[in-house]
Amino acid sequence: MLAAGSAMAQGAARPADPKRGAVIAAQGTATVPACAQCHAFSGASDSSGAFPRLTGQPAPYLAEQMRDFASSKRDSAVMSPIAKGLSASDLEDVSAYFAAASGPFPLLAGPDAAIIKKGETLAREGDPAKGLQGCNNCHGPDGAGFPPRIPYLAGQYAEYIKLSLTMWKSGYRKNSPNVMKPVADRLDDQDIAAVAAFYQQIRNSTDTAQ
Amino acid sequence: MAERLKPVDVVTVGVGLTGAIMAKELAALGLKVVGLERGPRRDTSPDFQSPTIHDELRFSVRKALMQDNVKETLTFRNSADQTALPLRRWQGFLPGTGTGGAAVHWNGQTYRFQPVDFVYKTHIEKRYGKNFVDPDITIQDWGVTYDELEPHYDRFEYLCGTSGKAGNINGKIQPGGNPLEGRRSREYPTPPMKETQYGALFRKGAEKLGYKAYPQPASTLSQPYTNPEGLTLQQCVFCGFCERFACEHYAKASPQTVILPVALKNPNYELRSNCQVLRVNLDSTGKKATGVTYVDGAGREFEQPAELVLITAFALNNVRLMLLSGIGKRYDPRSGTGTVGRNYAYQTVSSVSVFYDEDTRINPFMASGSSGTVIDEFSGDNFDHTSLGFIGGAYVGAIMTNGRPIEFHPTPPGTPTWGPEWKKAVARHYNHTVVLTVHGMSHPTRTNYLDLDPTYKDAWGLPLMRLTFDFPENDLRMSKYVTDKTVEIGQAMGGKTVVGAPRKGPYTSTIYQTTHNTGGAVMGNDPTTSALNKYLQSWDVPNVFVIGASAFQHNGTYNPTDTVGALTYWAVDAIKNQYLKSPGPLVRM
Repeated sequence: MLAAGSAMAQGAARPADPKRGAVIAAQGTATVPACAQCHAFSGASDSSGAFPRLTGQPAPYLAEQMRDFASSKRDSAVMSPIAKGLSASDLEDVSAYFAAASGPFPLLAGPDAAIIKKGETLAREGDPAKGLQGCNNCHGPDGAGFPPRIPYLAGQYAEYIKLSLTMWKSGYRKNSPNVMKPVADRLDDQDIAAVAAFYQQIRNSTDTAQ
Repeated sequence: MAERLKPVDVVTVGVGLTGAIMAKELAALGLKVVGLERGPRRDTSPDFQSPTIHDELRFSVRKALMQDNVKETLTFRNSADQTALPLRRWQGFLPGTGTGGAAVHWNGQTYRFQPVDFVYKTHIEKRYGKNFVDPDITIQDWGVTYDELEPHYDRFEYLCGTSGKAGNINGKIQPGGNPLEGRRSREYPTPPMKETQYGALFRKGAEKLGYKAYPQPASTLSQPYTNPEGLTLQQCVFCGFCERFACEHYAKASPQTVILPVALKNPNYELRSNCQVLRVNLDSTGKKATGVTYVDGAGREFEQPAELVLITAFALNNVRLMLLSGIGKRYDPRSGTGTVGRNYAYQTVSSVSVFYDEDTRINPFMASGSSGTVIDEFSGDNFDHTSLGFIGGAYVGAIMTNGRPIEFHPTPPGTPTWGPEWKKAVARHYNHTVVLTVHGMSHPTRTNYLDLDPTYKDAWGLPLMRLTFDFPENDLRMSKYVTDKTVEIGQAMGGKTVVGAPRKGPYTSTIYQTTHNTGGAVMGNDPTTSALNKYLQSWDVPNVFVIGASAFQHNGTYNPTDTVGALTYWAVDAIKNQYLKSPGPLVRM
């Protein structure tokens, strides 16, 4: 079944197969480890910050990130070799699987209410002194996401959000030079901690699964 | 009784685009500048953030960002034999208010006028003879040339970060740009917007017929940009809520995003919002302004004395304030004498709808305010009018700015206007229709003018301004001609049904046709036919300058804003380098 998938990859625009994606997520392929090993089978990952929550992210966004990992437009010592080892159909299928998945939110200790409030202001209004627009403008009402291309932030782990913003700011993550990089440049460490804390604790009912 | 305040060096009436530029430039010289804005203060954050701003009903249909016409509106009639009535709803044009003015809710379409626009009368007479134009049309030369304005166009475009492709750099034609444009000194500050699907379809059709399509110059930016004032704009995300809305993203050039914050940081500048200026005060000679009288948000009246008064309140309000203040002689259409109120013009727009099969998807909702593809072969005098019986022209292009649910539902002719068949047609055609725009000149006439209404008053008891306007026959003939040419392009685009809708008279204020109101306080070389000299200084009251599209002798083919910006920098230059060194008339007759 897996070999047939690879052979079909070239040029064939077949619809994504989430059931096949589930198998890849659970078992990996001959050349790549199972997604579940780091991201959990549901995509809910963990809160360490190393592994983003994938559950319910828009499939086209997940697929685009995987393609960026494969081409090293987005460079990760862990994800790039994995993405390179998957065929075009594999990564469409896996993206479709996670987009449709549901998974639990672990109980996490919340930070200060004041930090969350600051994050809420940045999310909804931005910061006029920095010429910064609110995150919600693109990421949707309180971070619900904006399929197909913009991921949800609601419920994403604060440590991972912090990591991502830091990676953009440092220039290490390069696959949004005109949008996320200028945004990250205008955030200081307290802003980053605040938006991360705010979004982690949002439980948004909007289902972004496509 | 008005409380008299401490005198300042400069007062600006209005803090929109022209008022904000004046504020920053003159405060930077060390002058004490007060900006009086009748509307509220507004900033990108928090006032323009989404989702609040993406409310079509509130902002587009109910005009939430526009001038409050309960307090102050215009009266309108087509001709002097009618009685003008107040515009109780803004429909035909949408004057702005609040800091930033109409440059907050504009689309960002940023075209220069043509070199011949500034010497229009001379050019037309030279090419076609003295008797070619309808006698009712009152075109004149502007008193300034394109070459004089070119550095100021450049400065304004670099302020905005305008995205585009130059077509003519110092005489050398550039591939990809408009080969017919007036020469510019350098490339645009940012590259053109991405071409949209509707733009690409237009390009293919236009190029099949031999026209040279080019990207619409856009002050909704293609990439992040930091302007010479140190302010940074972001990349437009094609959200489709541009005109009538404010940009949440810092991606549209507006005073808030390109210049006002710099003025506000300068302690020499003081912004007073919710302050309605009632009049400019003149001394007993009537030749010197002493300042302005205004009413603040609490209803208290103040007199603000100032050495220099800049009327920067948008074209229409500029003229009204001059009329109310007795600056310049009021225009009388019967005798043709007087200057304030003459040469009002507008814009002659029409459209062509191109309906496609369901295999062709347009996605009109993915649009920016100025992400169009256009051609210039029918603009202005770019084509030979000898046998055509009219002057002037229009630019043509696919410049759709949105696919919003309340406003955008094109249907082919014969579709019922309501009911289940209408609904089916809307669903069928929504994502498969390209609407082409024909955006044309507006020629001034003896009988189109502005004056004060004899009956109706504003909330402060002052006469409203009265607009008397109808399309000259010349412009309707022009519209028919270019619309027919555009239908041909629609057919070359592969449209299954192509429907042209040329502009027809009489002009109605109930259908939106741009907010490009121009003229009324025109600039020129002759004080008997212009209210301002070539530096936008009043001929009659030398310490008053009147900045805006009110200065236009006619309205050219293109959207006015780039030319308004250029004239503002041109006037700033004259004030800085000539007037402040030696106050008084800059042009002696």
